[in-house]
Amino acid sequence: MDKGWKGQLLRVDLTAGTCKTEALNEKWAKTYLGGRGLASKYLCEEISPEVDPMSPENKLIMATGPLTGTYGAANGRYMVITKSPLTGTIASSNSGGYFPSELKYAGFDMIIFEGKSAHPVYLQIRDGKAELIGAVHLWGKSTNETEDAILSEFHGDAKIACIGPAGEIGVHFSCIINDKHRAAGRSGVGMVMGSKNLKAVAVRGTGGVKVANPKAYRDAALEAYGMLKENPVTGEGLGALGTPVLLNIMNQSGGLPTRNAQTGTFEGAEAISGETLASSYLKRNKSCMGCIISCGRVTKLSDSRYEGDGEGPEYETLWAIGAACGISDLAAITKANYICNEAGMDTITAGSTIGCAMELFEKGLVSEEEIGMSLNFGDAENMVKLMEMTAKGEGFGKKIGLGSYRLADSYGVPELSMSVKKLEFPAYDARAVQGMGLEYATSNRGACHVRGYLISPEILGLPEKLDPAETEGKAGWLKIFQDFTAVVDSAGVCLFTTFGIGVPQFTKFCNAANGTSMSDEELLEAGDRIYNLERVFNLKAGIDPSQDKLPKRMIEEPLPDGPSKGEVCKLDQMLPDYYQVRGWGKDGIPTEEKLQSLGLA
Amino acid sequence: MIQIQFFSLIRMLLKQDATEITWAEGDTVQSVLEKTQAEIATPFLHKLLDEKGKPYTGTIILVNRKNILHLQDLQTPVADEDVLAFFPPGAGG
Repeated sequence: MDKGWKGQLLRVDLTAGTCKTEALNEKWAKTYLGGRGLASKYLCEEISPEVDPMSPENKLIMATGPLTGTYGAANGRYMVITKSPLTGTIASSNSGGYFPSELKYAGFDMIIFEGKSAHPVYLQIRDGKAELIGAVHLWGKSTNETEDAILSEFHGDAKIACIGPAGEIGVHFSCIINDKHRAAGRSGVGMVMGSKNLKAVAVRGTGGVKVANPKAYRDAALEAYGMLKENPVTGEGLGALGTPVLLNIMNQSGGLPTRNAQTGTFEGAEAISGETLASSYLKRNKSCMGCIISCGRVTKLSDSRYEGDGEGPEYETLWAIGAACGISDLAAITKANYICNEAGMDTITAGSTIGCAMELFEKGLVSEEEIGMSLNFGDAENMVKLMEMTAKGEGFGKKIGLGSYRLADSYGVPELSMSVKKLEFPAYDARAVQGMGLEYATSNRGACHVRGYLISPEILGLPEKLDPAETEGKAGWLKIFQDFTAVVDSAGVCLFTTFGIGVPQFTKFCNAANGTSMSDEELLEAGDRIYNLERVFNLKAGIDPSQDKLPKRMIEEPLPDGPSKGEVCKLDQMLPDYYQVRGWGKDGIPTEEKLQSLGLA
Repeated sequence: MIQIQFFSLIRMLLKQDATEITWAEGDTVQSVLEKTQAEIATPFLHKLLDEKGKPYTGTIILVNRKNILHLQDLQTPVADEDVLAFFPPGAGG
């Protein structure tokens, strides 16, 4: 192959302790592109959707896309695909940094992990050769400590993805951290990795990535670089302020879910905003492999109570650990972010679950005695303590480690979990942004913003401004966004590039790299195919369309404040349209005709 | 008085987060923008408006937290005591 794709994958049988190279299925690669799409195809072919996510029968796939490791946009992403222990849905968690490209340079498009090792191990890959190494000495170490130890004992230029203690002890929202600070964050993929006694993957590769048509690829890259540089968001805004620029935007727009989404504005927003971060703990911005956007936040705390340095907080973290918990203490939020990164925990679910626990506490459903301390909204000091307890699996932290749905359900109030399909929604209130409510309800991994980011048109006005209060037409917009996002994830490119470049640029990239001749429509159809593939997996896993819903608060409790005061999310007005636009039956199940048209039947 | 709030790159450029502008009968977003720039030493409208004076795709101007694109755009009337917020194009997620 060697056209975008390297043409081979690594299959690691953790039970047997073997590593074997096999040819990538070329037909599937062309049909499902790579990354999220291609790995989802492998997963659907190789496991039962009904499998216990924590059993050896579940598989964990680390997959790059055909554009990963190339130049032109921000082509350095990989995805972790497995069945999620948090949601029971198919999981595809996405990360950047340098590890993904290094995997391609070492000769592999993806790694499929199967079975379970009898003892902790990590995988070493060096230019096409792989072996499992004992990792007892790494078990229990933080993600930072793990990476430093492997760099020391393996290769100083290796790129590493690993789990922290959270993934080892079964925190349901544990993630996989690569390059110390980048996270395949959501859906608990780190918990699956931990269940297999797999601590880390370390890669050193000195090869490259060939493309089928170098001149056409160079032309596509020049066009994309120019567009990204000219665009005020990708060319300047994201580099200067990073994702936290959204904090004030969403608060002003009345869509910042505050105190477990009891209100849509936060009086402490300014104190935790991107502007405040930029003038306090931010040291510099940082890029992932080959990226000219440079949105990463390199930070260092200078506070008498907390110390540390690292990356973040990003916008979603500032919201989850901040506004969702009623906390306006930026140092405490930053410290809790570092705790999450070093333990290997998703900051969105971690913060949202603590916010849920705060509401349980204030409503008298959980006592100070059980938590071991008070837990009022706004209590930054006890939030940091509880985050540490969660990372260590201590006391009430064990319950936080289950995620908000299981936590709230254990007290008989699952409706206080701000989640869909047990995945906590991120930093946008569905009552203030109707299309995002539809996205949360229908996303294949639960309430997620990076499957169809309608905030872009509804709030940010990109590529054009839609009225966030309007429901009509949102289904059509969402389908396009979801399908295009599936393409971007599968190609191995950062989603942030789509603020500056669009479908035509991706078509040019994919065709030049892969030697294909797809039209824009065919590329989007691949996204549609991937979306339906995931949907079918979920249906077979028992995630039926009745779970395409939102927390009662979003549907029945009008927003009490802000410009959308009095609004609820009108999901019932959008969901039938969505099913129709998707070509599914009124029952939300893809029709046989639809599946046949996509080659899925 | 009209309350003006600066965000994002404009705040970094101006090194101030807010100001007040005297209200006058007939004020619109357009006139308030012009008056604000006239009272501040550092030009900033180029961060919000293109060469033809129209908001860039992605510029967010709010009047009392409502986006002017869903009101009357730059011709949206501004009343005394109104709060205007200016964001140059920005995104994240």
